[in-house]
Amino acid sequence: MRGGALRGGALRGGALRVGALRVAAALGGAVFVLWAAATLTFFGLRLIPGDPAQAVLGGPGSQASAEALAAVRTEYGFDQPIWVQYLRYLGRLVSGDLGSSYSQRQSVASIIGSQIGGTLLLAVLALTVAWLLALGLAVWSTRGGRVAAAVGSGLEIVAAAVPHFWLATVLVLVFSTTLRWFPAVSTDAPAGLVLPVLTLALPLAGFLGQVMRESVLDALEAPFVLSARARGEGEAGVRWRHVLRHGALPGIALSGWAFGWLISGAVVVETIFARPGLGRTLLNAVQLRDVPLVIGVVLVVAVGYVAMTLLTDVVSRIADPRLAGVRA
Amino acid sequence: MPLRHRSLALSLAGLATASALLLAGCSADAGPSDTPATPVAGGTLTYATGFGEPTCLDPHVGGNMPQALVGTNVLESLFSQDETGAIVPWLAESGVAAEDGLSWDVTLRDGIAFTDGTPMDAAAVAANVAHMKDPETASSTAILALGKVSSVEVVSPTVARFVLSEPDSALLESLAQTWLAMESPAGLERGMGANCEAPIGTGPFVFSEWVKQDHVTLTRNDDWTSAPAGATHEGPAYLDTIEWRFIPDPATRFAALQSGEVDVIDEMQPDNVVAATADGSGLDVLTGALPGASIRLELNSGYAPFDDESVRKAFIAAADVNPGIQSLFFGTVERSYSVLSSSTPFGASFEDDYAIDADRANQLLDEAGWTSRDSEGYRTKDGERLTVDFPVSTNQSIPAEVSLFEQIQATTKAVGFDVELHPMDLSSWYAALGSWDFDLTSAIYTKNSPDVLRILYDSENIIPAPSGYHPNNAHVSIPELDDAVTAAGQTTDPDERAALYEKAQQLLADGAYVLPLYDHLQKIGYGDRVQGLSLLPTLQIPYFGDTWVSE
Repeated sequence: MRGGALRGGALRGGALRVGALRVAAALGGAVFVLWAAATLTFFGLRLIPGDPAQAVLGGPGSQASAEALAAVRTEYGFDQPIWVQYLRYLGRLVSGDLGSSYSQRQSVASIIGSQIGGTLLLAVLALTVAWLLALGLAVWSTRGGRVAAAVGSGLEIVAAAVPHFWLATVLVLVFSTTLRWFPAVSTDAPAGLVLPVLTLALPLAGFLGQVMRESVLDALEAPFVLSARARGEGEAGVRWRHVLRHGALPGIALSGWAFGWLISGAVVVETIFARPGLGRTLLNAVQLRDVPLVIGVVLVVAVGYVAMTLLTDVVSRIADPRLAGVRA
Repeated sequence: MPLRHRSLALSLAGLATASALLLAGCSADAGPSDTPATPVAGGTLTYATGFGEPTCLDPHVGGNMPQALVGTNVLESLFSQDETGAIVPWLAESGVAAEDGLSWDVTLRDGIAFTDGTPMDAAAVAANVAHMKDPETASSTAILALGKVSSVEVVSPTVARFVLSEPDSALLESLAQTWLAMESPAGLERGMGANCEAPIGTGPFVFSEWVKQDHVTLTRNDDWTSAPAGATHEGPAYLDTIEWRFIPDPATRFAALQSGEVDVIDEMQPDNVVAATADGSGLDVLTGALPGASIRLELNSGYAPFDDESVRKAFIAAADVNPGIQSLFFGTVERSYSVLSSSTPFGASFEDDYAIDADRANQLLDEAGWTSRDSEGYRTKDGERLTVDFPVSTNQSIPAEVSLFEQIQATTKAVGFDVELHPMDLSSWYAALGSWDFDLTSAIYTKNSPDVLRILYDSENIIPAPSGYHPNNAHVSIPELDDAVTAAGQTTDPDERAALYEKAQQLLADGAYVLPLYDHLQKIGYGDRVQGLSLLPTLQIPYFGDTWVSE
């Protein structure tokens, strides 16, 4: 018994050490992702044509005087070799300073702070709606019957293939211009959120539905379903307690990816529905070659993506005890 | 052109009549429900712009169209212009040039104050000019317009003397632009950050809030006394507030107008104009030709293949644009044969130089040595294909215009040109132009004066500005033309100016440097509850000093 207790203690200590290592590895990975995102963005923006000094002086095509340009180039260090600019910039990032926007003459942190709320609201609502639609469709279309299956998979494929800009335009035409149910210009009022959320959620529901339906179908034929039925569990109990949990697993794993995808969709949706947010900020900043603002937004999105990936990892473990048992 | 009080009074009366007629015309169009209504004070008007959101509300900084649009109803200018382009008073009563043309005395209206209480006097004019010319301000439009102004002297509280380095016949026109509007010197002293957020003017409205990427709120100035010449009423504006929103997508903007979410929109697409002018749409459209250059294709004559005049002439003889303009724009624009906009004085048309003749195009190309054709049917010379690189700014060219460019591509292919369209964002497009990496381009240039001809075609402007920008994209270098536009910019004699500007335009047409397409139109759509809306002719900017909303 003593030996058993000791062994248990050693196991717990080992698990802690493994846990600490895994946390360290995850953090290291996250830092690497952030560094890579900042570096790629920095050099990417310098490789495409356009002069960042003009972003400071009123945008492309400015006819700024020689003095003004020289002053700006010195102030922002554009006259330095690019690797010096890169190292300086990286140094500031490490100390937590995102710098200030060339075009808006405010700190990048305050711009992001004022714009992030709207985008997060949009992304969270879209993810929730996509999940509900995908689950509903997966459960309904696997009820049996070839027609339901064909309709389900057809809807998913069409939804997943529809580009955001097209869907947004069609939704505006139908629900705003013709039926007048929802406004074309998005606000944070519930009615103003419907069209942008649907634009983001429908294609995502298509993706999620496809993978979930596959795994629901697998689960329905799995031995544990057979044994549940043998225990006398009803169809609803089988579906909601056993099959759905199994079916949701790939959907959970995809949600980390989906978050990144939603942010890229936000660029289109925020522009079409004229919603303030990070997506529109990013688009404007790229067009103006506003390097600090672009990198700031990219970093925030990267942090969100890393956090979502970690979160889906945790949720997967809760939904699927096998994962927790195997690795811990 | 010196202003004389008598002619001024005449032009004022004429203008008032013209505006009244214009308003009556609009009412008649709007349908039977319209009765000659009495203005009602109060209410909020929502304006949705597609021109984009300024990064700074002070139009002295940088100086672009988004700033002018939102700024004109807050920040007023020394002068305004009537429909014919003639200078009329605003904050200034008159401007008179000295005999030698080297100074102008601008007499200000007495008793006008900025909304912070600072008097709008000659010292304020001097402070504004100093602010625009200060490199720290980072002005590009205003500083260019003030290129010949050395300083401003305060002669008396109501007389400001502009001292010039050389005569400038376009000075008062320059001062009429919102980019050179008068701002409170006390406001300027707050520094660029604060002044960018809410510059202080003398206008019918004040900037009261700016929520980035969402809206700017303009609130009525109850003490407003400085309506421009041509205004239909005296005293404060009718509207309580204007909410100025940014809706970049044209389809959303029009949908928002149709559903009544917004009252006024700009940058309408041609099909929207047709839909809005239809009977029973509940909408109406106000259009005006933006002054300056027309929308036109510029042939880069500095580099092959368009350094050869025959090749330029062949291109223009083959580029059949009229069918495309009719079909793609649904009759909303008219073909122009002038480099100048129809709203800019001294424009001259040379329609014969733009006749379509494929046989002549083929003959010219044969003579120029482009005799063989490759497997795809494009002409070649010494193994080189007759390629025309055409960078297209997707910010400046609307979809219908891009489709027109595709039709030009098709019609010129018939005679052997390989026109390659390259859609680009604004920064990339300016970079391509700056490095002369193009053969053909369409560039917008808005300026309320025929002096735009000097800016666009004087050989001096082939040399890039420090930012890399060069206005003379066609690479026109003709000493006779340089002399004509320089002399026209210095003389104040209207007949002499007309003759000089016509000569310059004749040289451009004869040398096949430019293919004029149509006027750059300001297209404003509005719901029928909006009354008394007009465009200020200077830059065709919507003016809300006389506007009210009927409930």
